[in-house]
Amino acid sequence: MNNGKHLAGLDAGHVNTKAVIMRGQEILGHSTVPTGFDVVGAAETALNQALDNVGVSRGELAGIVATGIFRDRINVPPLNVNSTLPDYAADAKGALFLNKNSRTVIDIGGNIHKAIRYDQNGDLLDVIQNDKCADGLGIFYTTMAKALGVSEHELSELALQSTRKVSVAILCAVSAESEAIDLMCQGTNIADVADAIVRFMVERVAAMCTTLSLAQEIVVTGGLAKSKALIKHLPGLLKQDVSVSSLPEYAGAIGAVISYEGGK
Amino acid sequence: MMNKGSDTIIERFRSITANTHEYARSLQGKGQILAGYMCTHVPEEILYAAGIIPVRILSSHVSQGMTRSYMHETYCSFSHDCAYQGLQHNYDYLDLIVTSSSCIHMGEAFNVWVRFAGFQQKNFLIPYPHIIETKPAHGFMVESFGEFKQFIEKFAKKSITDDDIERAIKVYNHTRRLLKRLWGFLRRDNPPITGPEVATVTLACQVMDKQECNQMLEQLIQTLEAEPHKTPSGVRLMVTGGACDDLGVFDLIEHLNYSASLIFVDSCTAARYFWFEVPEDRPDKLEAIAEGYIGKIPCPAKDNVPGTGEKKRFRFVQQFIEDFKPDGVVFLYQRFCSPQPMDVVALKPILHNLGIPSVELELDTTIPITQFGTQLEALMEIIKGVRLE
Amino acid sequence: MAYTVKTWNEFKNYQSTRYKDYLHAPEGLRCMGSTWSPLAPLKGLGEDVLMIGGEPHAASKAGTFPEESREDITAAEIAGLGFHSCSYLKLFVGEVVRDKIGITDGTIKEGFPKPDLIWTTHLCSQHSKWYQEVSRRMGGIPMYAIDMIGGGNAEKDPKIVKYVCDQIEDGIHWLERVTGRDFSDELFIKAVRNEIKVLVLWGNICALNMHAPAPLDERRLIALFPPAVVDRTTDESVRLYEALLKEVKHMVDTEQSVAPDQRFRIVYFGIAHTYGHPEMARILRDVGAEIVASVYTFGTCGNFRGIVNGKWSWEPLDPAWVDELDLSTRRDAILALAKIVLGWPTWQGVRSYWALEQMARAMVAEYKADGLLLAPSRSCETDFRNGYIAMQRIFKDEIPTVEYDTDQVDVRKMDLPGAQRKTELFVHLMEAHKKGVQNK
Repeated sequence: MNNGKHLAGLDAGHVNTKAVIMRGQEILGHSTVPTGFDVVGAAETALNQALDNVGVSRGELAGIVATGIFRDRINVPPLNVNSTLPDYAADAKGALFLNKNSRTVIDIGGNIHKAIRYDQNGDLLDVIQNDKCADGLGIFYTTMAKALGVSEHELSELALQSTRKVSVAILCAVSAESEAIDLMCQGTNIADVADAIVRFMVERVAAMCTTLSLAQEIVVTGGLAKSKALIKHLPGLLKQDVSVSSLPEYAGAIGAVISYEGGK
Repeated sequence: MMNKGSDTIIERFRSITANTHEYARSLQGKGQILAGYMCTHVPEEILYAAGIIPVRILSSHVSQGMTRSYMHETYCSFSHDCAYQGLQHNYDYLDLIVTSSSCIHMGEAFNVWVRFAGFQQKNFLIPYPHIIETKPAHGFMVESFGEFKQFIEKFAKKSITDDDIERAIKVYNHTRRLLKRLWGFLRRDNPPITGPEVATVTLACQVMDKQECNQMLEQLIQTLEAEPHKTPSGVRLMVTGGACDDLGVFDLIEHLNYSASLIFVDSCTAARYFWFEVPEDRPDKLEAIAEGYIGKIPCPAKDNVPGTGEKKRFRFVQQFIEDFKPDGVVFLYQRFCSPQPMDVVALKPILHNLGIPSVELELDTTIPITQFGTQLEALMEIIKGVRLE
Repeated sequence: MAYTVKTWNEFKNYQSTRYKDYLHAPEGLRCMGSTWSPLAPLKGLGEDVLMIGGEPHAASKAGTFPEESREDITAAEIAGLGFHSCSYLKLFVGEVVRDKIGITDGTIKEGFPKPDLIWTTHLCSQHSKWYQEVSRRMGGIPMYAIDMIGGGNAEKDPKIVKYVCDQIEDGIHWLERVTGRDFSDELFIKAVRNEIKVLVLWGNICALNMHAPAPLDERRLIALFPPAVVDRTTDESVRLYEALLKEVKHMVDTEQSVAPDQRFRIVYFGIAHTYGHPEMARILRDVGAEIVASVYTFGTCGNFRGIVNGKWSWEPLDPAWVDELDLSTRRDAILALAKIVLGWPTWQGVRSYWALEQMARAMVAEYKADGLLLAPSRSCETDFRNGYIAMQRIFKDEIPTVEYDTDQVDVRKMDLPGAQRKTELFVHLMEAHKKGVQNK
């Protein structure tokens, strides 16, 4: 596939913009930058950083494919992407690339989470995406880490140390955050609060997933796939095993590259 | 502190509320058939007459998201929790589940049990008026209860006689009278029992075999009548609203930074469950049951007097205010409940005219203790301010 | 080429005239209430009955005056109504609070004309409470709410039919007492026949969408059903729907459609959410996907064969049957009216999950759908939210099914970006499904 050509995939998400550089089946390099308010600027920066990381110039790129929520917004000069692809289609292709045995991907992103079932070619069979109340899990995770005064990685590590199960409101991130703070006011152990936060997210994701017929193997992608605490809870609620692909946050960008010129 | 006799009995009731499944299974262990019911419009007397113990389905208070793939987000957490328990097979031991058509949210919880939780073959939905005050409601209920009775006879493989029903009516009326007497203690300034304790006992009664329940209630009331009072009442607070089986909220009311006493709970998990009687010794038992259930404090979802649009429930609320003399009212209802807020907006001006301050608290599966505490204490300060004037 | 419906303006004028009459008529009996009540009894009070229905008015107000509608809803919330309450209800009560009403002809009137009475029903748990609130705020307007009970096969259950008939009969006596007018059985019976006829005619029009291409799309269906919800008891409403039926039959015979490019046929379960709907429709239209059948436009004011041998059928009833109905006495008329209203899809589905599921199954099969689009309304408790999440679960493995969150008229509760994403996703799923089927 596209042997010898340098190709770039851009996944312009709500929170982060991811860029990946590939040549054939090889992932040469990648980069992530916060999307912020300058969506095009973020895409440019991500792409340039990824190119710098691998020592490839813009001129050497044969093509750029964009995906993500802002894929159409970044399809402007100077980026001049060759084509765009819906995020769920890119996620499926990328997940399959990263795990040839996978047939379902659960992608947990900054604002949206979804589950996608696909065939052996990565073509869509079914998709489900969250509703309004469950928006923003990734953003919530980042916000709660700040509220607890820890990094996102530390939040996950804290959650793994929990010894007592406490709960926060399940309705939405606003209620959950409010009650997490309430728990802290009551003197609840920070590890238990961290665990409550993670379980809130897993409950929302898992509930959505049960509507889809999940086909093994199931992989988890997106930035939140890096949370060990989240991955620990998920199989129990799904009643199925899951695995985390390598480079989980780049599945979409990789899938975009795979789809260049129809994936020929 | 000396352990009073009543404490032991109250603790037994509390233990039942905390271990409802264990209690229910103990009844089954004695050979009892159990029917779970949602909402208080199910004519339990008909089940009891057939030798079936009705067990109310209550919350597990587990914060979970799984039911969001079965029911819409914007259904109350009580209905979500009830649905969840069905899906988790917590109540698989039930021989039957029954509901009367009540509010849409609880109806949907029932549907989840029937469609997805394995109760397809062991359920019954009793058609029930959605406006309880219509003239033909009584006749409709009699017919509907008649069909339910026939179903139960077939299910239990036994005939239900008039005597069976009359016995059941008397047992249930006895429970209701005992509960009224128990709540009656809270009219006093120095009651021998607290509001949260009375609420706990009332909740337990809804999952118990009424024979056992009545024995324990009689014992408790007898003991209380001989016991000294507890700490003098603080500010008297009355709760009015929807389903609330989270006893932690009631405990919170009495553990604020200001001294407060919970003196009445008008909700379907408290007073609306038992504040009525079925006429006894009537020739037509189903007519008597229908008449009794029409006389209940109406659920806001069913309350609209034809012609005037009056909310008959308000007559009861005003009577409770007169009898129990609250200093303040706490509106306590489930977030996303549709009918409750429509009553609150009309009840508030009445409370204002009576000079009674109020606060609204929206319930969810989890209770934000600190936030609720702040709001309740703010109410207390308003009340104290009113008094100082 | 896209067909243009010839009777379009007459339908619009009918709707506007009814609202104008309610607002401005110097005399007459003003009646307010739910469009899901049987309306004919009101017409027994005379020929000067002016009506305003809560839901049609709220929906059309939101479409005509989006900014005003936001203020209405906010006013209702400031006046104490809950955030989670029905947004139609809040819009309507908000108008009462602000004492200001806007109607489809583009006019806003200061001073909401007080009704003389409220005649309504209790579709969901808050339905008639809506009018209790209006009555209270307007100083205590006499109101009568009919408990229809509802549910699958309700019209075949003698005790439900009797219960409803007895209430209507009692309601008629109440109407006489409260208005001081003599009730005219002649006017009532005529209105009953018209009401039933319009419901049956609309059912026939909807059923023609089973053809390919479907002659009408959802946008036209939404715009053409208002006379049936605003006032379906008049001779004029019957004439309108007879003319429309004739026109749509002609469209079918000549294979014409208002949206001829129909690569995908969609069944839609959801309310016609005023703001988001056009955007979703555009996304669908761009790929030639059209909603050809919808529980809202079909079921709100139309009758069909209903449940036959345990399965729902969207086949229409014969309009000639209505002419042959024996309505000799008041009770005969009440009975016929009660049965037809109980037979409405809305009344059947609201209390019976199995009836709603049957309706969806039948709609997908009879209208040969390529996809099922579910749009539960966040503040609605009837057939426009109840059971939809469960339906998604049930249908997802059978047909491309996507669900998105929305609301009738409260734009704050809509998830427009999410709905757009999901509508695009829906299109991709239908394409993938079609490709998969073709490759087999």
